Amino acid sequence: MTLGFRLTLPAQVLVLFISLFPLLMQLYISLTDWSPLAGTPWPRAWEFWNTFANYTDIPGDTRLWAALGRTALVMAVCVPVEFLLGLGLGLLFVDDFPGKRLAYSLLIMPMMVVPAVAGYMFFMLFQSGGPVNDILSWFSPTPVTIAWLSDPTLALVAVMAADIWQWTPLMFLILLAGLVGVPQDQLRAATLLGASPWQRFRTIVLPRMKVIITIALAIRAIEAFKIFDTLFIMTGGGPGVATETISVYFYKITTQDLVWGYVAALALFILVALSIAAVWAMKRMAK
Amino acid sequence: MSAIHLKSLVKRFGPFTALKTMDMEIADGEFMALLGPSGCGKSTTMNMIAGMEAPTEGRILFGDRDVTQVPMGQRGVGFVFQNYAIFTHMSVRQNLDYGLRMKGVDPGPKTAAMAELLGLTDLLDRPSAGLSVNILQRLAIGRSAIMEPAIFLLDEPLSNVDAAFRAVMRTELKALQRQFRQTMVYVTHDQLEAMTMADRIAVMDHGVLQQVGTPLEIYDRPANTFVASFIGSPAMNLIPGEIRGGAFTAPGVEIPGFAAADGPVTLGFRAEDAQVAASGEIQAPVYSMELLGDSSMATLQLGSKSFAAIKAAKDFKVEIGENLAVRAPARICHLFDAQTGQRLSGAKP
Amino acid sequence: MTRALLRTLAILAALAFTLVPILWMISMAFKPFAEWQASGADLTWWPKAPTLDNFRYLFGLGTNELISMLDRTAMKPILSSLLSASVGTLIAMTCGTAAAYGLSRFGSGQNLPLALIQLRLFPPMAVMIPVMMMWAFLGLMDTWFGLALVYGIVTLPFAFWLMKTFFDDMPREIEEAALVEGCTRWRVFTRVTLPMMAAPLAAAALFVFILNWSDYLIALLLTTREWVTIPVYMASLSSSMTGQLYGAKAALGLIAAVPPVVLGVLIQKHLVRGLTFGALKQ
Repeated sequence: MTLGFRLTLPAQVLVLFISLFPLLMQLYISLTDWSPLAGTPWPRAWEFWNTFANYTDIPGDTRLWAALGRTALVMAVCVPVEFLLGLGLGLLFVDDFPGKRLAYSLLIMPMMVVPAVAGYMFFMLFQSGGPVNDILSWFSPTPVTIAWLSDPTLALVAVMAADIWQWTPLMFLILLAGLVGVPQDQLRAATLLGASPWQRFRTIVLPRMKVIITIALAIRAIEAFKIFDTLFIMTGGGPGVATETISVYFYKITTQDLVWGYVAALALFILVALSIAAVWAMKRMAK
Repeated sequence: MSAIHLKSLVKRFGPFTALKTMDMEIADGEFMALLGPSGCGKSTTMNMIAGMEAPTEGRILFGDRDVTQVPMGQRGVGFVFQNYAIFTHMSVRQNLDYGLRMKGVDPGPKTAAMAELLGLTDLLDRPSAGLSVNILQRLAIGRSAIMEPAIFLLDEPLSNVDAAFRAVMRTELKALQRQFRQTMVYVTHDQLEAMTMADRIAVMDHGVLQQVGTPLEIYDRPANTFVASFIGSPAMNLIPGEIRGGAFTAPGVEIPGFAAADGPVTLGFRAEDAQVAASGEIQAPVYSMELLGDSSMATLQLGSKSFAAIKAAKDFKVEIGENLAVRAPARICHLFDAQTGQRLSGAKP
Repeated sequence: MTRALLRTLAILAALAFTLVPILWMISMAFKPFAEWQASGADLTWWPKAPTLDNFRYLFGLGTNELISMLDRTAMKPILSSLLSASVGTLIAMTCGTAAAYGLSRFGSGQNLPLALIQLRLFPPMAVMIPVMMMWAFLGLMDTWFGLALVYGIVTLPFAFWLMKTFFDDMPREIEEAALVEGCTRWRVFTRVTLPMMAAPLAAAALFVFILNWSDYLIALLLTTREWVTIPVYMASLSSSMTGQLYGAKAALGLIAAVPPVVLGVLIQKHLVRGLTFGALKQ
């Protein structure tokens, strides 16, 4: 055994342990109706064999598709908003100004707050007697008492606001690193050739940031797809299923409905779909 | 085309003064080199002409037009950066017609004409990344020239080029300037570049303009010891000593025939002007000998700390430590004030 | 002038949006019980009578007559978070560093970079059922080490990728010099490379620790009572009589928020590299 092989061995074992083993187990369970309440240990799940019934149930699972749609909506709103805000902030931080370091350190703080804690924070903020309504009351003749978290639409807005609060700093951090890397001489050369600030941004800054922007968007899109902690603590997926995203749906059918055979089938379905999406995205990116 | 007038220009960065009151006239169509060691204020001067930095005091005029407050995009200057600042994510063509496109002007046949002029026609649709350095220089010049700027500024464009290629690039640059006939300001720390290309040279040091003149003037009549030592290779010999009764004396040196008053002075002469002879004004032991190829260089030790370089024939042989006699008559010598370093009159009869 | 003014205004607005939620939590953590739920005209932005009662309450050192004493203090969950996050970091860093070095210097484990990215791509939810089944089988449910093991695997991609870019950036000459001196490759790794990489190693470890400390979902599924971590425990901070214990939650939230924020400032210059899997080095 070479040293290189021995060095990589522990990581390989862990990867195999977390990918192959669960995959096989999941594949097995997914072909049965087994549940932890079944009273038989999982190796004997074959007693509940139902072949592909779990898989054929997926297309008709309206709650799943609604959750997927909601997740897509969260991604479609949060990622671009975070990107634009992060880019705007980044542009403000390219030049030096007094207090820049302090402002920078403060602005990136939200992404380091434990997401679950951020969830409790925003849960408090959005109470009907809480500070958000208090601030809104400053601009309104009558006191504002919106019940944010119990209104289906507003709950989604509140959840997205929390996500934007927490993850805009990430975009800011990454995009600023890219912006600072744009060669100053090229920007000056463009200015001397008569390019306006917008033209400089479009013809020099954006093309040079292409890779960085792609990375930033990809990272945020992946994380937004998995959105759980903050949202779950703020609303628990409710009211009703108004803020139920894919991860929340998974959590609920795992811990409340306990239909593990179906969950396993669904998990494999999502894994395969994500893999296809990832391969497709990487091929497009390579171009 | 346009003349440049710098009027009482001052630039301070906080407590640091980068440029002390500078007045300079650059004639229309002239090739002016700003020459000096790093930190002398030459780049600051250039950046202020381009509008990248605002002067603390003073005014800048292009011809009759006061451009002091005009932002850099609207001054109509072409600028070639030290690293050329080529837009490497664009093709050669996109680089060439960038300025026109940004102005919303159809480049039309201009791009092709410029490419033809610079010998870039075959490369037009190539990506600009990875092109050789002389192509990049041409591209950088062409990209500015296509905008027909009145003034061309070049910021040490040859400093990233290896020595062997520099001579080729110099020749090419001079030829391009003749073609465009623009006013050019060329910043460099290399006196050879300034001497070979410029119509006039402005020598700067510590934010102060030391001397402006044609290369020959600067070489033959340096205004002070700084210019004398910065121009020429090797640097001019500078020997501290004193004038007594019209003669310069220092250890091993006795040169009669000066019109200057008695007192301490610094004497200067160039290695190539002095001659080894059977007897002469300088008599001193040889400290070192170097063969340069076409000639050789003897360094004499004068007193404890002072040295003088003398050019000799390439087959000249002498032992280290042997005494050498050198002809250095007053007509080849320059006198400088011992304290201020300024040129004294009465140096040459 | 106006541009500088506009920029200042924009940055102040961003700072307000960023800081108000955090300041609200800090303020809440020091509010006495009477101010927790004060709303409308009575809403207090800053505690009128600041107190440490909320913190005392969390550790079972005192209570208000309206709230019953906690039957379980916050001590054990804090311990659980610390233990599982630290040991998880240790696992991820050990395996990740070794594998990164193996790939960077010997070209072993070519499959790892992509496999680990995939691991990060998939929602943890999608693999948690088999993990729960296995953990129940192995008796690892509701233990800090069971949790630490999953943390180690989940953050392995970050440890691996960060260390890989650090090793790739490191000049080889020193290692080669040590090899010429007759050191074995293993000795070079442990005696030359690792000490030289002490600072990057520390940065990577802190980064991985922040990630582990920030987990909620995995602890929610794998711990039930004895070893619940801070975020899971926080949900139990409500009483049948008074509902949500806002002040206590805010106090605990503050305790949970401090380590990552402090550590994050410490490793600020490595954050971009860490968050982009080393794709950007800032």
